[in-house]
Amino acid sequence: MRNMLFFLLIILLADFTSASAQEVITQTFKDSRLVNIQSVETLSKRRLDVRIGHRFGDLLGDNGGWSTFYGLEQATDVMIGAEYGATDQLTVGFFRTKGAGALPDGQAGLRQVLNGTVKYALLQQGKEGGAPVSLTFWGVASASTAERIPDNPDIIRNFSTFAHRMAYHGQLMIASRLSDRIALQLTPGYTHRNVVAFQDENGLFSLGLGTRLQISRVFGLIADVTFPFSDYRTTENGFYPALGIGLEIDSGGHLFQLNFTNATGIMETDFIPYTTSNWLDGEFRFGFTISRLFNL
Amino acid sequence: MYKLLLTTIITTSIFLTLRQTTVPNTLSPEDEVAEILLQLGEEPVAHYPDTTLKGVSVEAGRGIMLTGFAPAPGGGTTNKQSKHYVCTACHNIEREDPDLSVSDPQARLEYAKRNGLPFLQGTALYGAVNRTSFYNGDYEQKYGDLVKPARNDLREAIQLCATECSQGRALEPWEMESVLAYLWTIGLKARDLILSDQDKTVIDQALAGDGDPSAALKLIKSKYLEGSPATFVAPPEDRKAGYPVDTVDIGNGQLVYELSCLHCHENERYSFFRLDDSKLTFQHLAKHFPKYTEYSVYQVGRYGTSPVPGSKPYMPNYTLEKLSHQQMEDLRAYIEFRAGKER
Repeated sequence: MRNMLFFLLIILLADFTSASAQEVITQTFKDSRLVNIQSVETLSKRRLDVRIGHRFGDLLGDNGGWSTFYGLEQATDVMIGAEYGATDQLTVGFFRTKGAGALPDGQAGLRQVLNGTVKYALLQQGKEGGAPVSLTFWGVASASTAERIPDNPDIIRNFSTFAHRMAYHGQLMIASRLSDRIALQLTPGYTHRNVVAFQDENGLFSLGLGTRLQISRVFGLIADVTFPFSDYRTTENGFYPALGIGLEIDSGGHLFQLNFTNATGIMETDFIPYTTSNWLDGEFRFGFTISRLFNL
Repeated sequence: MYKLLLTTIITTSIFLTLRQTTVPNTLSPEDEVAEILLQLGEEPVAHYPDTTLKGVSVEAGRGIMLTGFAPAPGGGTTNKQSKHYVCTACHNIEREDPDLSVSDPQARLEYAKRNGLPFLQGTALYGAVNRTSFYNGDYEQKYGDLVKPARNDLREAIQLCATECSQGRALEPWEMESVLAYLWTIGLKARDLILSDQDKTVIDQALAGDGDPSAALKLIKSKYLEGSPATFVAPPEDRKAGYPVDTVDIGNGQLVYELSCLHCHENERYSFFRLDDSKLTFQHLAKHFPKYTEYSVYQVGRYGTSPVPGSKPYMPNYTLEKLSHQQMEDLRAYIEFRAGKER
């Protein structure tokens, strides 16, 4: 049965691929990321995308408000790195993140993290006929470079072996540009952390939903939400879906994104397992991403 | 000086021998114009390639011009000549004018449509080896003294294009000679010239030694431009009203948009500023048309853009010979029509 399904999938992909040799939609989203989640977009060959992402502290709630100037005096997570278009389909990237996620009891996830990413466009949506969706795979391997805390074997950052520093995430992105203004994306994913707290689970399935509404040639609204599927990750236990909304500003070559999200971490290995902030409690933060393209 | 002269004579002789020149005694359509001129007593031009240099080949030249890369003489591939452009971003390598003796942008646009060519700012490289002057007219306004060595020297003109226009690296000597070797393969042929039966008779007689070679030379040279004229013009004084034209042709504007604007901007082919067929794009362009911003087609069409810190490539301007005022207004009419905007 499984072999038959696989065979059918291959036939379907082959059919769409031959159709996509005609005219395809080359820009479903403007950027390689929405607010939190990746988009189906890959870079053109020999393009370098230098990216800086920033998440400030809680805007409101117990840790926000005037005392932190609505979070602007804090840096919850910071990402800096770049992606490179090895081919028109394959994009590889390397990012350093501060790391910000924590369990509801306050135990921190990975910190000072190096992230290697790979993205491959499997299928592009056809303009007229052809594939109805674009399909892209994205994966990240994250390694914490934080100093180990050897005295406490019960915490994640005990790092008794190097493997405990690692976490991985892989996802398939299925997106469709419905019109010049609207694009939608569905993102099933799987996250694996080599070491977790006792009550937690190493493997975690998730589903992300994302959308972009183009307001004008320059401005676009973006939003996404990611639901982890886990008996442990309930609101009763203090976990919340990572929900972000943002404004994209495209100046041609530069892309600025201003956003609000309850996720603290920027990378998938961080915000999917560790989002414990609640929008309704004012625990969301302002953030921005700057992207600059270069020809190499 | 004596050695230089000797080298030029030798390399020219080698090149002409390698190309297995046949001396025409009657004109045939495939005859190369440069060879006919030589046969009629014209002095050889200085831009024959030096094929004695290691690595020089037509294929290498073609690779550099079309892709930016060429097989390196020591193995592997050269570094890309320019990160931003290839020669064909701004220049056709095919003939692009129906009558080579005039520079008529409307005739060129229609010819481009008929032949599936883009409509570009740069002059076609087809026939470049038959020209004797480069960066003509107002290009001095743009590049200053840099055009002086390039005006009468194709090698210098190519190097100026490589380093300034494409914001890339200078060509190595073997690369330059390879580019020239390739350009010689796309030189003008007799069939490209509009010759009457009487013209052909004059030329045939001169080639056979019965006529007046200087008259034949003059006749042939009158059939194509030896330099591409360049007149820089400003956007209209009143940008809201536009250039004064009697009427506009939306279909013609569509041709300009599709064969010119989209050539570089579609799918960010040569520019990060993406253009497409969506109403949002046309609304953006229509809104900015009469403004003084870098999104104004008047502004960037007539002045081009400038390199800025962190972004060296720039868009070249359209001279009057490459885009007429009428075509600019046709383009504006098309953009406004697609934007759903009435003026």
